[in-house]
Amino acid sequence: MRLYKSIRVLLFSVLLSGMIGYQASAQNLAEFEKKVTEFTLDNGLHFIIIERHEAPVASFYTHVNVGGADEPVGNTGIAHIFEHMAFKGTKYIGTTDWDAEKKVIDEMDKTYKSWLQEKFSSNPDENVLAEKWAKFEELQEKAKTFVVNNEFSEIIQNNGGTGLNASTGADLTNYYYSLPSNKAELWFNLEADRFKNPTYREFYVEKEVVREERRMRTESNPIGRLIEEFVAVAYTAHPYGRPVVGWNSDITATTIEDARDFYDKYYVPSNITIAIAGDVDPKRMKKLAEEYFGDFRGKGEIAPPVTTVEPTQRGERRFTIEGNSQPIMIIGYHGVSDSDEDFEALSLLGNIISSGRTSVLYQKLVEEEQLALQVAAFNGFPGTRFGSLFLTLAIPNQGVELDVLEQRIYDEIEIVKDGSITQEELDRARTNIRAGIIRGLANNTGLALNFASTYMTKGDWRDVFLQLERYNAVTLDDLQRVANKYLIKQTRTVGATVKTDS
Amino acid sequence: MNIIMKRTLLFTLLTMFAVTAAAQKRYDEIKYPKLNEFKKANVEEFQLDNGIKFYLVEDKELPLIRVTATIRTGSLQDPSGKEGLASITGELIREGGSENYPADKLNVLLEDNAAFMSTFIGQGSGSASMNILKEDFDELLPVFVDLVSNPLFPEDKIELSKTQRKSGISRRNDDQGSIANREFSKLIYGDNSPLTRQIEYATLDAISREDIVAFHNEAFVGNNMTFGVIGDFDTKEMKRKLEKAFGSLPAGTENNLIYPEVNYSFPSTVNFINKSDVNQSYVLVGHIGGLRENPDYAKLQMMNQILGGGFAGRLFQTVRTDLGLAYAVGGGYGSNINYPGTFSLFVMTKSSTTAQAIDALITEVEKMQTNPVTKKELDDARDRFLNSLVFRYDSKQKILNERISNEYNGLSKDAFDKYVEELKKVTVSDIQDVAKDYLNPDKVQILVVGNAEEVGDQLQKYGNVNEIDISIPTPKSDKAEVSGDATKGKEWLGKMADAVIAPGTEFSSVTTSGTLNQMTPGGAITMKSTTTISYVDYSINTKLDTPQGTIEMEVNENSGKMMMMGQEQQLPPAMTKPMITEVKTGYLNIALNADDYNAEYLGMEEMDGKNYVALKVEASNTVTFLLDPETALPAYSKTSSFNPQMGKEVEVLISYSDWKVAKGVAYSYAHETKLDGQVSSSSKIDTVETN
Repeated sequence: MRLYKSIRVLLFSVLLSGMIGYQASAQNLAEFEKKVTEFTLDNGLHFIIIERHEAPVASFYTHVNVGGADEPVGNTGIAHIFEHMAFKGTKYIGTTDWDAEKKVIDEMDKTYKSWLQEKFSSNPDENVLAEKWAKFEELQEKAKTFVVNNEFSEIIQNNGGTGLNASTGADLTNYYYSLPSNKAELWFNLEADRFKNPTYREFYVEKEVVREERRMRTESNPIGRLIEEFVAVAYTAHPYGRPVVGWNSDITATTIEDARDFYDKYYVPSNITIAIAGDVDPKRMKKLAEEYFGDFRGKGEIAPPVTTVEPTQRGERRFTIEGNSQPIMIIGYHGVSDSDEDFEALSLLGNIISSGRTSVLYQKLVEEEQLALQVAAFNGFPGTRFGSLFLTLAIPNQGVELDVLEQRIYDEIEIVKDGSITQEELDRARTNIRAGIIRGLANNTGLALNFASTYMTKGDWRDVFLQLERYNAVTLDDLQRVANKYLIKQTRTVGATVKTDS
Repeated sequence: MNIIMKRTLLFTLLTMFAVTAAAQKRYDEIKYPKLNEFKKANVEEFQLDNGIKFYLVEDKELPLIRVTATIRTGSLQDPSGKEGLASITGELIREGGSENYPADKLNVLLEDNAAFMSTFIGQGSGSASMNILKEDFDELLPVFVDLVSNPLFPEDKIELSKTQRKSGISRRNDDQGSIANREFSKLIYGDNSPLTRQIEYATLDAISREDIVAFHNEAFVGNNMTFGVIGDFDTKEMKRKLEKAFGSLPAGTENNLIYPEVNYSFPSTVNFINKSDVNQSYVLVGHIGGLRENPDYAKLQMMNQILGGGFAGRLFQTVRTDLGLAYAVGGGYGSNINYPGTFSLFVMTKSSTTAQAIDALITEVEKMQTNPVTKKELDDARDRFLNSLVFRYDSKQKILNERISNEYNGLSKDAFDKYVEELKKVTVSDIQDVAKDYLNPDKVQILVVGNAEEVGDQLQKYGNVNEIDISIPTPKSDKAEVSGDATKGKEWLGKMADAVIAPGTEFSSVTTSGTLNQMTPGGAITMKSTTTISYVDYSINTKLDTPQGTIEMEVNENSGKMMMMGQEQQLPPAMTKPMITEVKTGYLNIALNADDYNAEYLGMEEMDGKNYVALKVEASNTVTFLLDPETALPAYSKTSSFNPQMGKEVEVLISYSDWKVAKGVAYSYAHETKLDGQVSSSSKIDTVETN
């Protein structure tokens, strides 16, 4: 029930999902071949089972290939709202009488839609609005009388479930938790039920919860505000420019019918991958998968693709947003998607210039010149399915003017463009990625997440390891070439927070 | 109903029927197999002659080795006035490198091997750890030992750390949540408690390299160290290597960490901190909590589960799910090992529902006291706990961590098992009893960090609202203290006082009107202004005619407000305090109260080609006047003040000219203010009236 939002999370996920999969020997892959079982149901739903018998527990991870980038115009935030709804129960969990409740929910949604229609008409009548709203609220109260509060989550937790959560990003939505491994069937039962029978229970109250989440992460948070504005300025046409949590008015405008349409289109088997890691028997998992997910709807259906392509930027874009906090700056360049052959070179470039104490931006700007509290460069924001941004986040030390720091970052980028990166630096980045992969394989949740998301994006979980080949193929010339090709003023966006009174 | 619709309905019914027929079984019909047996990892334990304790666990899943030392030390031991010493020491052991491996060499060595080393000192413990590939162990173990026992603490890294921390201080009021938690903790434990003290500009400046070296030498000795080692190794061989590597460390003496006494009197307070750029209130409500050793600990933990335990807790159910008032809500009764915890509930809600959310929190606490929880609630809460116990030991690392933590905190090896047994016995009436005994919903402290304009007067119903000043204390100037002749100083101060105010003249306030010329980034703005200053209570009333309309400001020592176009706005202390300081250090106030101040004569000083008497006066702040030696009237005044935006001390230089005397009071009809040499404003006075 959260968003891929903060830069820290972002950095972490870039390091983890973008970079992991860099593997020196085929040894790990061979070992995992023995532990991994995968199968696809007749309807197209793919499962990856990773055996790990360290302790009698297992992690369950559902990866849906739909995120903020797939949302229809006017309904930004709907992927995230749907994610929240997935915790509201099913036709018998979370309700005292589904048939009666459903009638009220449908009536409530109809009333809300007619209220919306009036509100956004050219000449809304206040009395009509008030009347419709009163009726809507009355129905909402009536719907509440059927609700058994949070029953779905409680069943999971009462059975020992931990780490129950979900998140929505620009590219994806995921749902996950862990259970004692003997309770695996409970996960099959509940997961199949919630995605086969979404109920949209408490939809409109939950939208207010989402609005509070928006206030917390974006509106009342300096870096949240800056990032929302940043992608909106950097992208003109592509949906990567929209906030995943949704614009406030779009949250208002989104109805149950919209959510249902969204579900119908995107929650189809071909668009979902499930991974289970832990102390489980693959044969039994397959049997349970067939039993519970065999009749999942949408066999053979393909989710609609995103067809908008971001036009080439014709010049630098700059903006500031005012607030009551110390300055933060983001510099972003239009880069590539993760299927582009330059993606790995750009990722390595970000890693080499800013990650670790030996990186050039840390050594020069943080340590020697003491201009910055922090400088971080990374590739692949706000997602990687489509043309993404190469970002540099800079936090100046007190008393340091933003333009001074900005210029020094450009100076260092120019030196990199002249070919300053050494083989030693490239090797060091690879070594750290290699070790990162090993460290990332030590827990069930990490395994399930990595394998499922890699399958969904690359078509094969083995790419967690095989990505290595692509990273290995990157040369110093490639680093210099991509720096010169992508890190240019014309496709640059620069945004900063400034004090209101200065 | 037409035929098509009927058909659709029929089809829908059939489909529904089909789905129902094939529907899966209910979740409560599942029969679960037995949980697989689980071998708890073996922990090997030994101690060296120098006091170091080791706990070893073999874990061969991945080719890694992790070594973590827990050090008995903490910021609790920071001397008063040097807050930050422990933290800087902890950071610099790693950042500064050791004698054999200075920072640059160390960084390259570690990053080339994808190895991590880190050192850290927190409030009640410190740590030093390394996480490396097993093949690098023999090469890196001596490096790690050298790092923790012979750190270099180079001056340049100390300065870097201080600069970064100062930037951190300047940013500490940017995030609503960190403001709220910091200030709430002060409400509970007091401002000056070692538990809540803050690192300030001044305390950082007071820390020297010698302090850091001494702090390290005392803390990083055998008797303060407990090591956990886990990974792909052979225990026997590892034991030998560790003995050899750490055997020569000095034993030292065991640190005695003293936690302060907490005296809490259950005040009811309402506190507010304004943050103008947010639209959500961060609310904390609570009072003091208790100790882990409390025999009611298990009952209180069960109560916490029911009140605020995640998705299933009542707070989540009511405030989030039912009322839609928040995304983030929770809390509970905290029990700490070494000092009383905090009972606190938090919620983040839109400004307009601040009071509604506070009421909801308090109501939930009251309900815990007045009504017994249901048997189902208790059973569910217990199930949640007992059924998820397997996750507590689902990795060898967790087992090792718990063992070391118990050892460090003086808890018995089976402390947790005992707690589980107690949990099993908790009854419905126990929950109500502890809720009554330990929670005081009518004696809570409320803290809201939010937008004053949007929150409005919602908090007043809870009592007098105390506005907390969170402005960041400014560092002492790094300019050298100049001292001069005190007797001569007093003499010149008397002369200046008589020149400004003729002896025998009495007045309590001064009203001036004139033209103010203010520099702004967008150019100079000229405006008519009328100002009345009271020298009795130091209040300021100003009316400005600006291009945007009339602005009125009312400022006194405690607060300030601004009225503009019918809107009233509170002024932050950061803005009003310098105004009051300016009045107090002004020549009129100094002249009025000359007898109360000490002064020093600093000799003659040249300014713009003329020589003046330099007179330093210790008023509420230090101010230096340059007096015309003939008239004894000030030609200039110099003060320095900290500018939070520039993050540094700024020198304020005011020049006074065009002196006129009326009713026994001399007044400069033209003055100009320069900040660090740049003109920031100038005034021409038309009329002066003293009353």
